[in-house]
Amino acid sequence: MSVSVRVAQRLESLPESSAIALRIRADNYFDTIRGILDSFAPSKNLDSIYVTSTIPSQSIVNALEVLEVDLERIYFVDCVSQFMMGASSKHKNAIYVESPTMLENVMLKVEYLIRKTIDHNDLVILDSINSLAIHNSTSILSEFLHMFVNNLRSKNAYAIIFSMEEYESDDIRNILNLVCDETISAAEV
Amino acid sequence: MAEEVLTGGRKKDRCVTGIDALDNILDGGIPRGNTVLVTGSVGTGKTTLCMEFLVHGALGGENCLFISVTESCDRLMDNIIPYEFFDEKLIKEGKLVFVDMPVIYAQLGLEELEFEMEEVDVLIDALSDIVTELQTKRLVIDSITSVCYRLRTQEKIREFILKLGAVLSAQGCTSLLVSEISPAEERYSLFGVEEAIADGIIFMGNLERRGDLLRTLQVVKMRGTMHSRAKYVLDLTHCGVLLVPLLKGGSVAGGA
Repeated sequence: MSVSVRVAQRLESLPESSAIALRIRADNYFDTIRGILDSFAPSKNLDSIYVTSTIPSQSIVNALEVLEVDLERIYFVDCVSQFMMGASSKHKNAIYVESPTMLENVMLKVEYLIRKTIDHNDLVILDSINSLAIHNSTSILSEFLHMFVNNLRSKNAYAIIFSMEEYESDDIRNILNLVCDETISAAEV
Repeated sequence: MAEEVLTGGRKKDRCVTGIDALDNILDGGIPRGNTVLVTGSVGTGKTTLCMEFLVHGALGGENCLFISVTESCDRLMDNIIPYEFFDEKLIKEGKLVFVDMPVIYAQLGLEELEFEMEEVDVLIDALSDIVTELQTKRLVIDSITSVCYRLRTQEKIREFILKLGAVLSAQGCTSLLVSEISPAEERYSLFGVEEAIADGIIFMGNLERRGDLLRTLQVVKMRGTMHSRAKYVLDLTHCGVLLVPLLKGGSVAGGA
């Protein structure tokens, strides 16, 4: 069974509106994303909000198009492209945050998209805590995640926080343990 | 009853702003009849916030009035955010009315650059008549600072805001008075009088943090309600004003 199928099945077994820390590795990165966006979200009839601070949203869109994932109900909050002075071509479902240091604006853009997708429950992916940790101190990152996850919980949204296993620190593990209901390792499901 | 125990008495009737997070901050909305100073420097979202307050009021069936002092209403409408919840019918049906203050000045013959005390009374009477005639329940004057420039002295400004607040409150009209200050200002109004007289102060600012510029909102004072005094970060969107708490981990000692 492929990683994408196993990840989707594991997520489906969790209670509604769970907050999940998803530990992934570079070699199963896109399989994991595919499992979430192409299998799990449609099975639960969820709109997906993908917050990217790792690679530009357009790169993810390109990869998902190759994988033939339907993008209609996937929205992006892109914290990378403007910061890198990129994003010359903007995807219709992407909105931009000037910098990964503007964590309040990440919450505001997610809130905006949740309001825009009011007809269905949402799944919010945060990709990734490790890249946010490059730009933000542990204290502000903990505060942000605590607020972010609880806010999503109050809106009956699933929160999936990516953590790249290769770049995990003790601080990151502690934050995830504190705010998430469950930790899943994509390589071990 | 339980709520009365918690709040220490009867809860005043609220004018629900329609901006969810602001209503939460204000424990349900602005106490009806309050005169509130919405103050901040340029580009902080004062006019947008006030406009949304009126649009939600009009959608809820209240008569709303926007008096524009600094720019023509036509120009204002051209630059306003196209809200998803906005309905042109509100203007056509007279629920949302726009008036240019210079037109009022001209009709009253107030052409001098500085008003005398009698002229201040004439202006208040005129504004009161408009509110009565239109049965206005929500009023925005954008900006009160521009009116105050014509009053010049603190006595006249005090008299103007006190009397205006009283006549509006007596008619059950909840008012937002926009106040313009420079970014470096250490008070909430240009003349220093407005902030002391108003029932409430909503301070909107720009916070610079490590090179990022964040729009912020803080309810400094609001008579008649318990409210949060924390600083929030806001975004101006097609869904309206959105607010989230400012993250403390990144704030700088003595920062704005």
